[in-house]
Amino acid sequence: MLRFFAVRIARAMLTIALVVTFAFVVLRLSGDPALIIMGPEAPPEVIAAFRKAWGLDDPIWMQYLDYFGAIARGELGRSMRDGRPAIALVAERIPATLVLTIPALLLKLGIGIPAGILAALHRGSVIDRAVMAAAVAGFTVPSFVLGLVLVLIFAVQLGWLPSGGQDSWRHAILPIITLGIGGAAVLARFTRSAMLEVLGQPYVRTASAKGVAWRAVVIRHALPNAAIPTVTIIGFMVGTLIAGAVVVESVFSWPGVGRLLVVAVANRDLAVVQCVLLLVAATMVASNLAVDFLYGFLDPRLRTGTQAGAH
Amino acid sequence: MTAPLVKVDAIVRSYRMRTGMFGRVADLRAVDGVSFDIRRGETLGLVGESGSGKSTTGRMVLGLEAPDSGSVAFEQAAMPAIGSAPWRSQRARMQMIFQDPLGALDRRWTIARQVREPLDIHAIGDDASRAVRVDELLHSVGLAHDQGLRYPHELSGGQRQRAVIARALATRPDFLVCDEPVSALDVSIQAQVINLLIDLQAELGLTMLFISHDLRVVRQISRRVAVMYLGRIVELGDADHLFAAPQHPYTRALVSASPAPGRRNAERIVLTGDPPNPAARPAGCAFHPRCSHAFARCRMESPKLVEIAPDRSVACHLLDAGTVPAAASEAAA
Amino acid sequence: MADLSLPQQPAARRRLSLPKIPTAVVVAIAWIVAILVVALLADTIAPYSLTRMDLKNRLSMPGNATHWLGTDELGRDVLSRLLFSIRISLLIAFGATAISAVLGTLLGFLAAHFRGLIEQIVLMLADFQASMPFLILALAVLAFFGSSLQLLVCLMGLYGWERYARIARGLAISAAAQGYAGAIRQLGATPSRIYFRHILPNIASTLIVSMTLVFPEVILLESGLSFLGLGVQPPMTSLGNMVGYAREYLGRAPWIMLAPATTIVLTTLAVSIIGDWLRDKLDPTLK
Repeated sequence: MLRFFAVRIARAMLTIALVVTFAFVVLRLSGDPALIIMGPEAPPEVIAAFRKAWGLDDPIWMQYLDYFGAIARGELGRSMRDGRPAIALVAERIPATLVLTIPALLLKLGIGIPAGILAALHRGSVIDRAVMAAAVAGFTVPSFVLGLVLVLIFAVQLGWLPSGGQDSWRHAILPIITLGIGGAAVLARFTRSAMLEVLGQPYVRTASAKGVAWRAVVIRHALPNAAIPTVTIIGFMVGTLIAGAVVVESVFSWPGVGRLLVVAVANRDLAVVQCVLLLVAATMVASNLAVDFLYGFLDPRLRTGTQAGAH
Repeated sequence: MTAPLVKVDAIVRSYRMRTGMFGRVADLRAVDGVSFDIRRGETLGLVGESGSGKSTTGRMVLGLEAPDSGSVAFEQAAMPAIGSAPWRSQRARMQMIFQDPLGALDRRWTIARQVREPLDIHAIGDDASRAVRVDELLHSVGLAHDQGLRYPHELSGGQRQRAVIARALATRPDFLVCDEPVSALDVSIQAQVINLLIDLQAELGLTMLFISHDLRVVRQISRRVAVMYLGRIVELGDADHLFAAPQHPYTRALVSASPAPGRRNAERIVLTGDPPNPAARPAGCAFHPRCSHAFARCRMESPKLVEIAPDRSVACHLLDAGTVPAAASEAAA
Repeated sequence: MADLSLPQQPAARRRLSLPKIPTAVVVAIAWIVAILVVALLADTIAPYSLTRMDLKNRLSMPGNATHWLGTDELGRDVLSRLLFSIRISLLIAFGATAISAVLGTLLGFLAAHFRGLIEQIVLMLADFQASMPFLILALAVLAFFGSSLQLLVCLMGLYGWERYARIARGLAISAAAQGYAGAIRQLGATPSRIYFRHILPNIASTLIVSMTLVFPEVILLESGLSFLGLGVQPPMTSLGNMVGYAREYLGRAPWIMLAPATTIVLTTLAVSIIGDWLRDKLDPTLK
């Protein structure tokens, strides 16, 4: 059991290391960082001083190690726009994003999972088809289109809700709904196929044949087993609590991390971009790890270990 | 005596296996020191149950896997490195016939195209002559030209195996390894395919290594036979003599279980104990837990393959201690 | 005497019957064909060039004779811009899907063939790609490199490669285990012959199904990026771009947004429907 977790943790560390490497490689590949950060009009002495200060004349592997060290120490650079540390900028935006993504997650879970289960239990019926049609609509419509349509209907035409900004709780409604619907659709579809797969298993039919009430079969056998693959996708959604609202925040001019990232990319404010990237990586990795641990508890097959196959 | 076409010398092959997710690593010896010669134009039968290592031996003899130690020589030359260009061109001289013909064929290619493929690979002849040769090959295995236009799943099991044989013979190889070629076929078809192989061998002067667990089939086609148990050869010799008077207790059990005219059922020897498991090899003689004649030495020392008569070798301690007790005194079923 | 002989069947020919295609799929295919035609012929069909400004007719509503779909805030004809946007968006989507399919399949084959360290590296990269939201990675790259069209296609081409890689690797390994790859190898075939003449045709249908899943996602991704102003840059226009520009005029001229938005949705939907149908037909076990 310990080995199982050790392997997972090692993998998580490796992923983070890969993200850091990715950032480093992209930063280097895109040109001389000194020129990028200082700007092409900066005088040569400034460039030279910058290069010296950042060790840009050192061999590349040394720069890599320095970079790694800096990240580990939390030195993630300063924003080009106002010189404040990137971490601070990002950190102060996190609550705003969470205000959208957490309720949205609850919405996704609250609508998506029951819809999927319902559709699976009544497979082939009108309910099933309706849910599936809604689900398909939910994820073929991109979030920005959905957001804009909602704005068009509720803000422009009906005037019930505001269209942008963060001034009151009312401003959060449309973004949350936009985020929630897309995710609910994905979850509904996924839950439905997980349930269908479980319901088709022999042990479910056996339980039913033994005379166990259908309801009990569903609750005690089908749901727990269908939960296992569903946990992965929920984990992914939790992992995107910070990253998932990039587009929606832009649609609604909501000042969260996503909006910060978009603006930073447009302005090539590399320190901020890098900071958000690492933050997202950390969140994803942490939630994947949590999912793995949860799996270890939920799936008895993993607890006892499986037999090795033939060579 | 002319040099053998194939000379196998003390080949060993192990696999590392992990028992369970957290278990220890075990060394699984599939083949444990096997040696034999195959003379040009003859068929050597290789008999054993599953787990005996006969398939792995076949693959090593053909050069599809490299032994961990020991050597395989073809025409007195060592096998080239697997996957190299000389190895690939050597394939034209030796081929394998597989147990599952459907698995050995590409579902999306017609039979004719697959039979032709070796000619394409080794760039033999030109388009026209390749087409002629394909027809020739189909004919020689008893398939019609029309059947060449079909896909593997449209043919019967026996026809598919014939197609595999035709493909194997395309480059006029000297040596064929047949790994359970008829085990997946209906009994009535088995005889046809075996007869086909015998005819082809006579016609083309093929040398064969014929691997099977089915004694009836092996004795029909082989001139000499080697019996394997848990990765070792326990008995080796002329087929007719070996089956008429088997010396090793395991061979005796095998022969007694295989129906033949003239032998009464009452003489059947039933083996006790667990079937052979290469991951849990007994100490000493690998067969001793199931042998009713085992004595102290059997538990401690593994017997060597010793020539007890011209063209007959056996690996059993009983032969040092005197003759093996006569069949009549064996425990009946 | 009655003739009791059986009616003669034509010898080796089988009657070809068209598989029954559900209406939804037919409609979807029709839409995709129409879109493709538009993309190819945008130059000839479009009534105006995509930058031509008709300043007297700004924000005119759809339905008038000179501008069927109306005009935007600079007087540019929405219909023309739509046609050109379709071309660019489809170009990127096709290009990206093709690149990622080829890249992923090759890497999958490499992993399956060499096993060992190479396989571990490929799997590690695949895990990495699957664990990070692609949008974030794409944004990071765009921040550092800027948004040229070639870069965009290459960047999108990295989307989804890991799915093909996993499929190709898995199926190549099982082909080797099943036997036909091993059987042909021992005929003396070179590895490239085995992979490209035998294994690839056999796994093509599974890969194609994956492509129909990836394609709409690429469209959504690219239009998202373009909407944010970070994808396709002016003077070129893409569907996402158009929606982005339309945001400010949502109240006054919603048609500027609705035309490209509807196109995005319908195209994505159509490819998804076709993809689902293909998956059911080609591999019913892949629910």
